[in-house]
Formats: sequence, structure tokens, C-alpha cells
Amino acid sequence: MTFPDYFAPATLDEALAKLGQQAGGAQIIAGGTDLLPRMRAGLVNPNLLVDLASLALAGIRRESSFVYLGARVTHAQVLESKLLRQHYPALVVACEAIGGPSIRNRGTLGGNLVNASPAADAAPPLLVYDADLLLVSQGAERCLPLADFFFGPGKTALARDEILKEVRLPVPSGRTAAAFLKLGKRQAMAIAVVSVAVRLTLNQNSRIDQARIALGSVAPRPLRAMESEKVLLGRPLEKLPIVEAASVAAGEASPISDIRASGDYRRRMVEVLVRRALSSACQELQREKIGG
Amino acid sequence: MAEITLNFTVNGEVAKVTTEPVKTLLQMLREDLALHSVKEGCAQGDCGSCIVVMSGQAVNSCLVLAAQVEGAEIVTLEGLSKNGRLHPLQRQFAELWAFQCGFCTAGMLMSCYALLLNNPAPTQVEIRTAIEGNLCRCTSYRAVMDAVLASTEGGHLP
Amino acid sequence: MTKMEIVGKPTEALGSEDILTGKARYCGDLTFPGMLVGKLLYSAHPHARIKKLDISAALAMPGVVAVLTHQDIPGKNNFLYALDDQPILVSQFARYQGDALVALAAEDKNSAQAALKAIQVEYEPLPGVYDALEAMKPGSIQVWPDRSNLYDRLVIEHGDIQAGFDAAEVLIEHTYHTPLIEHAFLEPECAVSLVDWDGTIIVYSPGQSPHRDRHQIARALAIPEAKVRVIYPTIGGAFGGKDELHVQIHAALLAQATGRPVMLERTREESIRTHVKRHPIQVRYRTGATREGKITAIHVEAIGDTGPYVNAGAEVMSVLAATVFGPYVVPNAHIEASTVLTNNPICGAMRGFGIPQGQFATELQMDALAREVNLDPLDIRLLNGLETGDTLPTGARLRQAGGMKGCLLEAAEMAGWAERQQTEDRPAPHLRRGWGMASIIFTTGLGRNVPDSAGAGLDMATDGSVLLRTAASDMGQGAHTVLAQIAAEALGVELSAVKVTQPDTHRATSAGASAGSRTTFVSGNAVLDAAKPIRETLLQIAAEETGLPVELLSLRSGRVYADDEQLSLSVADLAGQAGQQNRRLHAEGFYTMEYPEPLPEGEYPYAHGTFTFATQIARVLVDIETGEVMVEEVIAVQDAGKVINPGGALGQVEGGCAMGIGYALMEELVVNQGRTINNSLESYLIPTAKDIPQIRARLLEFPEPYAPYGSKGIGEASLTPTAPAITNAVADALGLPIRQIPLTAERVLAAIDSL
Repeated sequence: MTFPDYFAPATLDEALAKLGQQAGGAQIIAGGTDLLPRMRAGLVNPNLLVDLASLALAGIRRESSFVYLGARVTHAQVLESKLLRQHYPALVVACEAIGGPSIRNRGTLGGNLVNASPAADAAPPLLVYDADLLLVSQGAERCLPLADFFFGPGKTALARDEILKEVRLPVPSGRTAAAFLKLGKRQAMAIAVVSVAVRLTLNQNSRIDQARIALGSVAPRPLRAMESEKVLLGRPLEKLPIVEAASVAAGEASPISDIRASGDYRRRMVEVLVRRALSSACQELQREKIGG
Repeated sequence: MAEITLNFTVNGEVAKVTTEPVKTLLQMLREDLALHSVKEGCAQGDCGSCIVVMSGQAVNSCLVLAAQVEGAEIVTLEGLSKNGRLHPLQRQFAELWAFQCGFCTAGMLMSCYALLLNNPAPTQVEIRTAIEGNLCRCTSYRAVMDAVLASTEGGHLP
Repeated sequence: MTKMEIVGKPTEALGSEDILTGKARYCGDLTFPGMLVGKLLYSAHPHARIKKLDISAALAMPGVVAVLTHQDIPGKNNFLYALDDQPILVSQFARYQGDALVALAAEDKNSAQAALKAIQVEYEPLPGVYDALEAMKPGSIQVWPDRSNLYDRLVIEHGDIQAGFDAAEVLIEHTYHTPLIEHAFLEPECAVSLVDWDGTIIVYSPGQSPHRDRHQIARALAIPEAKVRVIYPTIGGAFGGKDELHVQIHAALLAQATGRPVMLERTREESIRTHVKRHPIQVRYRTGATREGKITAIHVEAIGDTGPYVNAGAEVMSVLAATVFGPYVVPNAHIEASTVLTNNPICGAMRGFGIPQGQFATELQMDALAREVNLDPLDIRLLNGLETGDTLPTGARLRQAGGMKGCLLEAAEMAGWAERQQTEDRPAPHLRRGWGMASIIFTTGLGRNVPDSAGAGLDMATDGSVLLRTAASDMGQGAHTVLAQIAAEALGVELSAVKVTQPDTHRATSAGASAGSRTTFVSGNAVLDAAKPIRETLLQIAAEETGLPVELLSLRSGRVYADDEQLSLSVADLAGQAGQQNRRLHAEGFYTMEYPEPLPEGEYPYAHGTFTFATQIARVLVDIETGEVMVEEVIAVQDAGKVINPGGALGQVEGGCAMGIGYALMEELVVNQGRTINNSLESYLIPTAKDIPQIRARLLEFPEPYAPYGSKGIGEASLTPTAPAITNAVADALGLPIRQIPLTAERVLAAIDSL
């Protein structure tokens, strides 16, 4: 491995300009927790590392009905944020399950998304919270739903000359509850075998107004189980067809067999985890209702 | 790529190192600063043996680039004791047999130290989480957690 | 026995301050002026003929100082314990993925890595044999042209097997599987070699047997052993995985060739790929018993895949065979243990040395028998349990077996075993709780008719401080601390007066391998042997100084006592006197494992003579929808004979349990056509702090005759019961046994499906 060059731009424009110059040999580095192991394994061989460290991309702020997370927000910052804990608890639970504290202190949400592992733990919760991504290039900006961002393992909609700047999350309103569950092969420092996030929102008649179900590690990319969501729409909280929805979700997964688990097992676990996550979200909604 | 000169502090002292910017912090600490407590167990963030404290946070030094250390404050195990006096963590690790072969110990102590910097009275659950990224093959981790608890009961903290 | 001051007292580990302040020097921390970086090129194929090897491009690269192939080895191009059948550098055939072809040294890591890439190798990949059962079939691909894949089949027979099974009213037969396991010591292998000013080749490395290392290094370099010096720095874990030479010979060859110091380190990936592993073993176990549950006979067939080089394979299988009957009275036995060669990773010593694999089967078999005859698992073990004076199927008579039932009953008491059914066992609809136990027998030492000795030196200086010269290796298990305690107690000095040297072939005579849980026993006795004449001299001087009879005098913690009255005389005073009078205060001790009782005719000639016992009980929760197993608690009770260092000993038991939990639930090195797939600590999983539940451990003392202070080895016995206890607990939770580990969620779910 030849050493790549290193550049720490002071502004986003500088960073974008550098990306443009390098004709594809440049690689953005944020926390480095995914990138450095991949470089060491020879999976990626950039000739330039562009470090986002000096850029003001690590803020968490609320602006009217949206919360904005800078791409460089670390998983540790997510855990420490009262704002995020209040509105996006499933995201917090997911970040708690990433690596250990030292990894969380460095690993970023942006990195987690751009690295685009099918097992990216932050992806399912961000999907159920309807995240949009702000992608910037020289002189241009676009906003892309996260649901349209992932193409496959390591492959995203991010163009070669683009940088992920921010994640935008609508502030959930009304009666809503979410849950995140992860199955790993040990209790910490585990890559997900299957991960699941759900979010349910009720209308004033206690019927499902919005259902979101996202699956991780069971397809080439993190994805929304749209058919499964449809099963729940409009149905009453007291009699949600959770089992049916979970079963449909399992059918929407296309898991592979790898060192961690077989495809069959993963598919089965989708059903189990979706069922449990939906039950958990339901119970939370029912408690809220009783609480008044 | 040309070498760069980095200015940062290590264990309370100013350090100035000229090296390749994409060398890892782990390599720099060991090779350029002779701080051998920082161990390489896997070189990719899986084992925690290389954990140091950087600007008040535990980080895997194998996943930090030298260039990213500019202006930072690094603490390694060599910096834990002050003026020859052992830190309460070190004393309790010794008294409670919280190590055996010792190879994971520097990283383990740094994770515990980082915990106490931000949370001076942690619960057992919080301690367990703080060391979840430190693999130990010799112990059952129980003595490590006991040592951290014992080091706070004395009330003598950094 | 007189009250002891140091032995039996909780003692901080020697060298703890160095480790806790970062001053301790492990092999990778050593630096020497002009030190080169060494790297090895490993075979790209698990089985291949090397058609062409071209190092010219590598040699020409900047910063490269030496590139060695097999042709550059001055001496014998073979090493490895038992048969010396592994090439140091492959000349023709690579027989597993970890065979090395080239050793090179360069000025820095980058130059070394670049040079490795520049080596051109033309391989002829060959079909290999990757399954032990396949390898045993006639017509199988042979690993060696001149040696059968079935390298060894040991048979141990005792009693009348036919009669034994005829008398059986109940027959249980099952097959059990344990996987290929990685030691995962945190410190990857490393060696630093340099040429001393007088031409001596010095090799620093982590290891377990410096004199055996030295022998093989000297032979490869074609120089006398006395001109090779092996020194062990602080070691970052071994568990048997550093018992074999790893990169020492290569480092020494490079130092010899370049005249400069060379550091050769393995990356974690290289480490997992190349060093010896724990044998995966299949055990077919047939038990015959009366309807009351009393064992009448066992027939056991064990097959171990040892890889292409024999290494400790036959010995591992023989130790398995010599203990697979478990801590039970087994009047008739037929035990076969086969050591099979394949092109899979080499297997060798790992904590337990075949006993964990064998007694995994034994203990699951006992539970199966218990279910069959409707006995509680505790009761069937009590019914069949060994007692002092019993004879084992190897012919060895147990001179101390109080620990068997002692540990069993104590563990049951601690666990509340008798009350266990009454606790709620279904904490949630998808959860099942289960309890399981395992009771095991473990050996100390290497067995009869196997060289099992140790030397140790004690030198008392004129100020009363003591140098303890031992070649026994402390890999973190606390061996040096224990030996220092024994020396201090025996010499009557304070522990702080004893300095233990690093294992160094120039300083101490061979202690044999730090393996087989033998160090405390064998090296401990060697230390006692050395202490004896020194103590006698000191007491003699004390008698002369005080005018009191020697019988009245004793030495304790650095002071001289007459009866129990402390005198003003110190041991340092006595030592000073000895110096002035030119009297000898140094001695070399030596001890060979004793077998005072002759073995009856026709019995297994390598039977061990000293045994320890342990029982563990596990409580688990099984999620029947996901198959996940969560261990809620482990109770571990172990017979240590005499606990020399209570603090360290408890750590050994807890650490063994932790390793056992990994073995039971998550560890498996996956091999595909001879290639290991999970070569990192991300994909080969060992337990984190969140995976270990509460472990309640207790050490019992049933003193062992002939042992130093009655003490027996504990480091391996602590690992052995854990996996079977957990597996039995899962069987209890589910109502069906699973006979293979690891108990991954997927495997458990598949078992549940089959219900």
C-alpha cells in the first residue's frame, strides 16, 4: 500500500474542489472507522484522503419542523443528544449498538451511510424517521430521500464529486412510537445479523396513519419493507395485524448466506424482529393512550 | 507524500513530530514517541488494545491518522500516574488482579480512565459498556469492573 | 505443617507495576539500533507444489537487505514439535495455508511489505484433503506420499469390555463434535533476533519452552545450542498457542544472514492464518450402564484433525483418551483415539489439550444417561463419581480424589441445585430457562514415561535478596508469582526479596514446557529442591550465631525465630555471614514428576498420576424464536490441592470460564477447502465484557501428595467444564440435547425445529 496524500480543507468548497481535481482517486475521511480497515485490507486504494475534520459538519440543530444532523455527527454525539433522544429514540438505540465507546467517539452517521454496508446500523432507524440527505457538489445542492440513497453494498447515489453534508429529519408529530432491534452473534462489538426499525403513527381515531418498517443486513442495501407497511395502514391500534405484517416483511427481504448466518435464518429472523419491534411500538402507543 | 510536522500534547507535554500524515496514531505513538504501552492487537479497531484518550475521549489509535492529531491532547498509560504516584485505577487493578498477561491492560485502563473523566461515579452497567470494546482473553472482566468501582469509592479522582 | 507466611496469601502479581504503568516490555516493544523489519511470505494455497520461486525483484527493491529461501538455510530445514515435519521455508510442497516460502528483512515496514508483493511464485495447486473422515478412507488423497493420513491410532483398554457391555441394561450412544478454535491471545506472535557481540544469536520471543525453542533454532542455523540464547520478554497470552515455534527461526536466520537485529511480527490476520489451533474432534461415545445408572462399560472413538504436521496431535489425542472416561468409576473401557492428517490448519496445544473436547462428550453423555435412567444429573454423577483409592481405566490409582465429590457437592450447594426446578423457568413466552452441570477430571503433568522435569536455580546474595532463575514461562497465568511465593516461603524471606529472572536459556536450566498445568507442581518442586540446601546452610549459621540447636530455629519473612520467639537476627545477617565465610548460598534444584506406585501390567504406559477435579453449573436462558442462548450465571468450583495465590487462582478460574463461554456459544474458525475464512477478531468472536455473566467461583483444597504444598495445576481445568455445563443447560431448557458447539443461535434454532 502506498501512502495516500492527505488534505484537510478548511471549507466545504475547498473539499469539493479537491474531489473534482483528483479524478476519482480521492476519498473522504471522517471518523475513519470503516475506511481505514478497508484500506488496510486493500479493498480501497485512494491516492488522496480528504479529511472533513475542520469543516463545521458536526452540529445537531432544530429548525422549525426539522432536525438537521451534520454528516460528521458521531454516534457518541447521537447518544448524548437530548434532542435526538426525545424525537428519535430508535436512532439512539441503534447508535448504542455500534461498536464500543471508542468506535462511537469517532464513527460518524455520514460515514455509516456513505460506507453503505447492508448492515449499517444507523440506516434502518433513519429510514423509518424519513431521513433526507443533503448532498453538495461544486455550486449545487440536492436533497435526496435516504430511501433512494442506497444502491447496493458500498454503492450509493453519492456522485464522485459530491459530499454528504447533512441528514435532515422531520420532527415526528402526533402519536408516534418507534423501535429498533438488532440481532448479533455476541452482545457487543457485533455486526448485525439482522436489524429492524419500525415506526408507527396514529391518527385521531387510533388507526395507523403512517407505518414505517426498515430492514438491515437482509438485502444488498438497507431497505423499507413497503408491502409490509401497507398491511398496517388504516388498521386500528387495538387489532394491528402484526403477525401478518411481520410475515410480509420477511418476504421482502433477500438475505444472503455468509459467515454470520444463512439466508434462511435471516429471513426467519426478519419475521421475529419485525413482530417484536411492532409489538413494542404498539405497547408504547397504548401506554401513551392510557397515560392521556 | 511529504512528511508534515504535527504539534500536540502527549501526557501533558508538548510533542512535535514530523512524520507521514497518514501513519496511524498507534504507529506514531510507538515509533516516534516510544510510548510502548499502546499495543497493536489487530490494527483495525476490533480489540481495543490500542485505545488512548484523545481530547478527553477514548479512541482506537489504530483508526486515527497522525494528521488528525494536530492540536489534540493525547493521554496514554504512561501518563496516568503523576509524579510516580499510581492513579487509583492502577492501584485497584493491582490489588484486585484485574489483569493477567497485561497486553489488553493499557487499552483497558484508558477506556476506564476516559469513563471516569466524563462520569466520576459510574454504575456497573456503565462500566461494562465502557469496556465493551476492550477484548480480554485472560480474565472474565469482573475484576476490571470491580477495580473501577473500587477506584471511585475512595473519592480520589483525577 | 508450620503456618505459612506467603504461600496461600493473596499476592499481587510480580511485575504488576511495570504492566500497569506501561513499562513492561513485550516482544514488539523491543528496539535495537539498526533493527530491520522481517516479513514472511505464506503460501497462497493450502496444498500446492512450488514450481517456481523468483525473489530477484524483491531483492532489488529499495530498503531490502535480505531475502531468504529454503536454499539459504544453513542447517536443517525442518522444525516443529514431535516429528520436525514442518519446513521452515518450503522447498517443494506447501501443505497448509500457513506454510512460509520466503523470509525477508528490510529497513522499514513499507519496504518489507512492498518487497513481499514483488516476490513471484508459480504454484501448482494440488487437490487436498480437508476432512478427517474423508482422509481416513482408503483411496483418499494423501497428505504425505510416505505416511498414512491416519498417523496414529491409540487404543486404551481396561477390564473386559465384552463382559462390561453384556452386563449393561441400558445403552447410550451418540456422536459429539467440537470445532476448530483460535487461541486469540491478544499479543500476536513476534520474535526479535540479533547477533550478540560474541557471535551468540539471541532470540527474544513469547514462548512456552525456551530450551526446546533453542534446540530447533540452533539446528536450523547449524550452530551449537550453547551459541543460541532464547529469552522471553513479558508475554501477552499464549494458552498453548505459543508452545510451538512461530517466527523465531525465521527471525534468527535473518539476523544471522544480515548481521543486524531483526523484528518479525505477525499481523492478526497472519496469526490466525498460521499458528497452531485447538483440534476439532469428533467423539463417538457408547455407554453401558445398569438400570440404576451405574456405568458398566464405555466404548469411545475419537477422531482429531491435526493438519498436515503432526505437532502435538498424537499427544492431544492420547491425553483425551486417557481422561475421556471422566471423573467416574469405569470398570471396563475400550478407547480409541485417532490422529488424522489433512491439509487443514495445524492443530496443537491449547488450554486443555484434548480434555475439553473429550469431556464435552463425556458430560453430555452422562446427562443422556441420567435422562435414560431417570436420575437427576447430580445423582448420577455422585453414583459413579471417583473417590480416593479408585483405579482409573488407565490403570492409575487415585491417591487424592476428594475433589471430585467435594467440588460436585459444593457447586450444587452454591447453585441451589436441589431447588432449581422451583424457580420460574419461563420468564417470557419465548424464553426457556435451563440448568446444566459438568463435572470433570483433569491431569497435572505430562504422564508416566514422558520426560517431565524441571530445573530451577536459587541464588541468595550477601544481603539476603534472592535471584530465582527459572525457564518456566509466565504467560499471564501468574507462574512466576507462584514460584516466587514458594521460594520465599521455603527460604524464609519476604516475597519482595525474591527476583525472578526472565526465562533465559543462558540463565536457567530447562523447566520443560509451561503446559499441562505442570508448572506449579514440577517447577515448584524444583524450587523447593533448590531451597533446601540454602535453608539448611542459613539455619546452620543461625545455630552457630545463637548457640541454639538447629531444631529450635526457623526462618520466616526475613527474620530468625527460636521456637516462636523472634530473634534480633535477620536472614540478611545470616546471608552476610555466609558471604564472609565463603559458604554456599546458591543451588540448582531439579525435580522429575514422580510415580511412586508401579502401574499394573498391561495398563496404559503413559497414564498420569496427579489429577484435579472441577464442577461447573450453568444457568441459561434460551430464546426459542431466535435460538439465542444467554448464560445467566456460572458456578465454578475447582480443586486446587493447595491455593498458593488466592487472587491469581480465582482469576484463572474465572478466565477459564470466560474462555469456556466463548467455546460454548460463539467460537469457531471456519475452514473452506483448507482456507480459514474468519481471519480477524471481527469475524472470529471471543466474549466481550457484555457476554460474561456473573461467575461465582470457589477453590477447594484437597492437598495432593508430592505436590509443592499440596498444590495442583488449575489453569486448564477451569476451562474444561464450562462448555458442557452450558450445553447441558440448553438441553435442559429445550428438552432436547444438542451435541455440537458452538451453540450459535442458528444451530439452536435448527435443533428446536427438529423437535
